[in-house]
Parts: sequence; structure tokens; C-alpha cells
Amino acid sequence: MKAFLVNFFDGLRPNFEKGGKYEKFWWALEGVETVALTPGERTHKGAHIRDHMDMKRLMIFVLFALTPAILTGMWNIGFQAYTAENLTASGLDCFLRGAYHMLPIIIMSYTAGGLAELVFCHVRGHEVNEGFLVTAMLFPLTLPPTIPLWMVAVGVIFGVVIGKEVFGGVGMNILNPALTARAFLFFTYPGAMSGAKVWDVAGSANLLTHSGTPIDSYTGATALNVASGTPGAASAVSALTEAGFTLEKMALGAIPGSMGETSVVAIAAGALFLIATGIASWRTMVGCVLGLVGVTSLFAYGVWEPGANTMLSLPPAYHLVMGGFAFGTVFMATDPVSSCTTETGRFIYGVLIGVLCGLVRVVNPAYPEGMMLAILFMNVFAPLIDYYIVKGTTRRRVARLAAA
Amino acid sequence: MSVHQIKRGLDIPIAGAASGAPVELPAPATVAYAPTEFRGITPKLAKREGEAVKAGEPLFFHKHAPELVFLSPASGTVKEIRRGRRRVITDIIVEVSGNEAVSFKKYSQADLEGMSDADARSLLLSGGMWGALRTRPLDRIPAVDAKPQSILISATETGPLQPGADVLLTDADAPALAAAVALLGKLGTVNLAVPAGKSHPAWSGVKAKLHEFAGPHPAGDAGVQVNLIDPPRGKSEVWYLSAWDAVLIGRLALEGRFPAERVYAAVGVGVAKPRFVKTLLGAPAKHIVGDTAQGDVRWIRGSVLTGTKIGADDHASFYSRGIHVLPEGVEREVLGWATPQLGKWSAHSAYLKGMFGGGGSYDLRPGLYGGHRAIVPIGQYKKVIATPDIEPEFLFRSIIAGDLEESITLGLLDLTMEEAALCSYVCPSKIDFDILLREGLDFYEREA
Repeated sequence: MKAFLVNFFDGLRPNFEKGGKYEKFWWALEGVETVALTPGERTHKGAHIRDHMDMKRLMIFVLFALTPAILTGMWNIGFQAYTAENLTASGLDCFLRGAYHMLPIIIMSYTAGGLAELVFCHVRGHEVNEGFLVTAMLFPLTLPPTIPLWMVAVGVIFGVVIGKEVFGGVGMNILNPALTARAFLFFTYPGAMSGAKVWDVAGSANLLTHSGTPIDSYTGATALNVASGTPGAASAVSALTEAGFTLEKMALGAIPGSMGETSVVAIAAGALFLIATGIASWRTMVGCVLGLVGVTSLFAYGVWEPGANTMLSLPPAYHLVMGGFAFGTVFMATDPVSSCTTETGRFIYGVLIGVLCGLVRVVNPAYPEGMMLAILFMNVFAPLIDYYIVKGTTRRRVARLAAA
Repeated sequence: MSVHQIKRGLDIPIAGAASGAPVELPAPATVAYAPTEFRGITPKLAKREGEAVKAGEPLFFHKHAPELVFLSPASGTVKEIRRGRRRVITDIIVEVSGNEAVSFKKYSQADLEGMSDADARSLLLSGGMWGALRTRPLDRIPAVDAKPQSILISATETGPLQPGADVLLTDADAPALAAAVALLGKLGTVNLAVPAGKSHPAWSGVKAKLHEFAGPHPAGDAGVQVNLIDPPRGKSEVWYLSAWDAVLIGRLALEGRFPAERVYAAVGVGVAKPRFVKTLLGAPAKHIVGDTAQGDVRWIRGSVLTGTKIGADDHASFYSRGIHVLPEGVEREVLGWATPQLGKWSAHSAYLKGMFGGGGSYDLRPGLYGGHRAIVPIGQYKKVIATPDIEPEFLFRSIIAGDLEESITLGLLDLTMEEAALCSYVCPSKIDFDILLREGLDFYEREA
């Protein structure tokens, strides 16, 4: 197998080298070859030996970490729909129905985003950046399952081009490209991205009845919608309990929500994997959790009277398992490029994301979900945090040198 | 005595270590100098091609300070002067024959204790050992009239497969090391860096301040040690030299001869029998290595991190203490980026051996194992930098941007070549940070 591949690519290479028939498409051969086989290039300057670790492995490990969230998300889409239709379905049925809705979205994200990426490879003459593999997977997971495919395409292209390529590609971008894409859709097509109607595919064709099951008077509101928007409820917790949102159910992910964000357990499994393999920063994740718990504890156990804003009284434990907080903390905030670079900076950056997320959720009634905006906002401020951390390090260095 | 426990760094478990006592080799057919390794020196030839030379007679000197000479390790005739681009002298090769040697004045330990600064300088200069001294931060040979802030003698070595004090220092070296400390003490305060927890008769009685170093590479690097013991202040410079070179300086003073004997290590999987050898300064690499493995190999003077690629017919050098023969040929893996790769060693936790530590040693090859990308910071660089208060990503970015002032503020002059090479080693984006640091330092030298 290996010998065959080596020969195959060695045979193709002359066509793609300078002066060859397809020299302008060298990135295509490079992209395909380095996926099939690890590069055989020797070191010719600098340190003579190099670690096996490369960008492909780094990025594919993020996809590995996403797998539990993807699978539970697929199951949950089916589960939500069958529940709304009052049908009893096996786990496999739920999973298949979810896959039927989710796979086309993922495929569209990779196709449209991939095309945008390849156009830039060709025009700018750079190698295919594997960071795209992560962007094109993260983005669909933040969308509701009813999203029209053309919006997926428009969103991912916006994310790849405006979020990343205009800055020069992976490593140079300021904002997280997947979140840029989501924010674009969120503000451009709010009807398809938020509200109570978009989270459930109930009513669509399914394998059990082979036709759409009509449903009436079902609300597929998310936990955050319920907690913030139930007038007359004694408290957010009672509103949630009444609507069937228990802590366990929300942690496991059997609730309406974006496709990949619902199961905190699956996301936590991914978080452990990312921390153990050293790919994502535990400082950012711990910071996010501390920030959110801190600010929501102040609201819940502080001196404020809840009054009309029931969100004020919601205990921190609920905040942790609701909405996109867990997903954003583990997969979006930890993006090494758009987050802070310094170790201390990453912690501060995480704390501020948590605090902002809590503030948007509780104090700002317009947006029940604050995680996306909190991360994008802090993406912009990450260089500023780094600036002061680096300044502190430099001052310490100068002081140490002066004292020596 | 103070102990410095280095926490950040990386010991690369590359296979092919040498073992046993140094083997005494018969005299080599040729010996050579590689003047390009002497930073800050413009070599001017003292002998022309075909001229006879005695052991200890100048082969070349510094154009701007003729008293700074480099002496022939053996008697014979100058066989060849090799030049590189822009006629830079790259090799001066002497064909060994006969044993005529120049002798120098002998000093006793008491003479050295009472010596003046000027006499100490002229002894080092005329004895051909001034070149053993280098300055931090630029790793240049100090000007002949420069005053050091302090002098560090380092008896530690942590580079991959490089020989250290256990091989290069013997009990009998104690008087020579003491003599060197006395001599260098005339030029400035002398510090001595030694491996932690290992007492050695060679340095036990030395009258210098001892600093113990422990931890992974680059704990043994003199540049890192200077940063921790006595970092250069302002425009002043700290000098450093290895303890083995200090012993040679001691022999020059005590025995009145140019000490051309050297112990070199022949290491790497490409060497049939890795070993230590006792031979002459600048002996041919092939002479040191003996038999090599079959097939295409890379000859490296120095270590696999910071060493120089040489040809099979090239020679060992003044600073290097080893020849590493590394088999070429990078093994390729089908879908290697996505599969567990259980047998592969890596510094990253994305490999099991990186997460739990592997033990043993590995046949690492000179492959890039990835494509060139922009920096994606996952904290990989800071883990291998022992010098405190460096933010590597920001330092490297400022060097790339050509912002000299900013890069000096961020530690351009503190970071050592070994640390930058370790950054290149661990980089998933396959960036040559060691070359980048060199460019930054060259830029600084041009501007300053």
C-alpha cells in the first residue's frame, strides 16, 4: 500500500512541478499527497531533526474531540422530533433521522467552504490549510437543524473569506472563522437562527411513519428562551422545570438547541481529550467556567431582587449546561490563533469570556445566548490582553537584569 | 554554591549514543580549522598553501588584531585552503608529518596567581587559546582589549548525544583547571557551572564560585547559564568557555605547549560503532567515526540541533566535540496524521509516547514531517525555553517584522541558539526559528 502510494505520487509529481503541465495546481497534489502519506521532505536548514507533530495532526485531533458532540447531536435531533410528534422511537431511529438532517448541512459546509479555500490556494499560491477542516465542522454544529442549505453555504464562505483568508489564512486571523460565519447568519437571517421555531425538525418525513407527522401546539424553545422569556413565572428554575428542563436532561443533551451544543457530557469528553493531548488550553477553559460561575453567582446569590428579570435568580449550575456555553468554551474560545497567546493572558481571556457571557445572558434581555458574542468580543481584545502581559514580562526581565 | 533547577526544556532521546572510555587513535593524515565558526574574526592567512608549519605555529590570525592567532595542531605542510562564497576561507587543511613543535614559556600555579592582566591576555593570545572565549549575547570572540563583566566556565553539556564532563574531564585535569581559573581570574570574576549532584575531582578544589545546573536540555548550555547567573548589563559582555577548553588553557600555561589533543565523540545511528576517540584538534570526520552504516548519510559537526552539515571528507572543529552521522531517508506513513503512531516518539502529547514518556531511544531521521505553516501557538515553544521571562511567539514575530528595538525588549539578546533550535524541533508549523534568531542577531550586529 505504502509503496504503491509513494510510486503513484512520485509518478504524478513531474506534471505539477515548475514547468510541468499542471504547475499552477501544485497545491492540489501537495494537499492530496500529504493527506495520504506523511511528507518525505528532508530538513535542509535549521535544526537537523524535527518532531513528528504537524498541523494536520493538530487539526484532526480537534475533529476527534468533536466526534462525541457530533454523534450525540445527531441522536438528539431525531429524539427531539419524535418526542414532539409523540412517537416512540429507538435510539438508532433517532440517530438516523438526525443524520438525515445533519449530514447534508455538514457536507454543504465542507463543499462550499472547501471551494472558497481552494480558490484562495490557487490565487494566493499557498498550501491547503488544514485549519479549514475544523472551521467547516465547527460552523454547522452551531446551527439549528432546520437551517436552509443555501444559508450554510453563504455563511461558511463568509467565514472562510472574511474571517480568515483576507488576513492571510490560518494563523493570521483575528476572529474565529466559524464564529464569524455564525455571527453573519445570526444577524443577517435572525428568523432562521433564533426564536422558538427553528430548533426542531418535527413534522418532516421520517422512517417510522414514512410521511410527515403533523404536529400542533408544540414549542421547541431552548432552555435559554424559557428561562429568560417566561412572564409570570415564580423563578427561572421553576419555569425551566415546568417546561421539562432538568439539570440532568440539559447536561446529557436531550434538549432543543444548536446541533452540536446540547450535550455537555459529550463536549466534556472532547475537552478532556483536547487537554490531555495538549491541543487546547486548559487555562482558557477553566477561565471561562470561573468567569461564568463568578458573575452568575453574584446575580443569583447577591443582593439584587430578581424582579421581572427571572434570569437574575438562575443558579450558576444551570448556566453551565444551558445553551452554547460549554461548546464555545471547549471548541471556540480555545482556538489558539484567535485567543490570547500568553499563558496568563489565556486565563484572563477565558475569565472575561465567562463574565461577558453571563452579563449578556442575564442583563441584556435582547439576546438570551451570550457565548458567541462574548467570544467574538474577546477575540478582538485578546491582543490587548497579550500586550499588557508581554509588557509585564518585559518589565520583569528588565528588573531582573538590573538587579543581577 | 547555588543550584539551578531547570524545568523547561527537552531531552531528545535520539539513538546512537557512544559509550566506554575514549579510544586513542593513531595520528590523523590531515588536520584542519574551519575559520567560519569563529564569529567576529576576519581570518588572514599566516601560511600559504604548500608552506611547512610546526605544531603550535600560527596558521591564521584576525585581520584587525594580528596578535589573535590560531595555531596549527600538528607539524606538516599546509595542504589546501578551501574557500566558499565571496572567497570566505572555509577550511585550512594541514597534512601531518614530522613532530616539530613550538614551545612556550611554562608557568607554575604560583606564577599564574601573581600574573598581570596584560600578561594573562598575551599568554592566551599567543598560545592560540583566546578563541576558546566567547561573549554573550552574540557568541563572538571577544576583542583583545575587552573587559568582561564576568567569565563563565561551563562543565555541563546536555545537547543530544554530546559528550559531557564524565567523558571530557578526568581526575588528572584538576591542576590544569585550577591554573585556567587562576589565569582567567586576572581578566574578570570567574564562575563555574557544573552538573548538579555530581562532584568531580577536577573541580572540587577550584577557587571559583560554583553553580550547579540540573534539568533537561538546554540546562547545560552556557548561554542559558549566563542568563541565570550573571546576565550581561547594558553594553557589557559576559564571556564563556567550556571547562574542557579551560583545561587546555591550563595545559598551555603549565606545560608550555599548544594543547592540540582533543576527545571527540562519534555518535548517531549512522556510525557503525559509536565511540569516543582521543585524537588531534580538527581531525578528519572519517578518522573519528570509523565505519559508517550503508546508504545515504548526513554528516553533522556538533549536535543534531545546532550542528553544521559537513561533507564526509571534512574535519572536526575547534568548538565541536562530536561528529553525528545521521542516516538520510525519511520514513513515510500512510495517513500518519490521523493514526495513533504508537511507536513514534514526540515531544507533543498528541502522541502516546509524548503523553506518557517513552523511555529508550529512537532512530530519529532528518525529516520535516509536515508542511510549512504560520505559527499556531499551542504553548509548544515556551515549554522548551529555559531562559526566564521570554514570550517566544512575540519575540519571533518581532524578528520577522524586522522591529529591532521591540525584539531586543522581548529578549532577542537573551534567547540562546540551543533554545531556538528546540523551538524549531517542536514546531508543528515547521518554522526554522534558529535561522530566524540568527537573522535577528545579524541584523542587530549590523545596526549596532
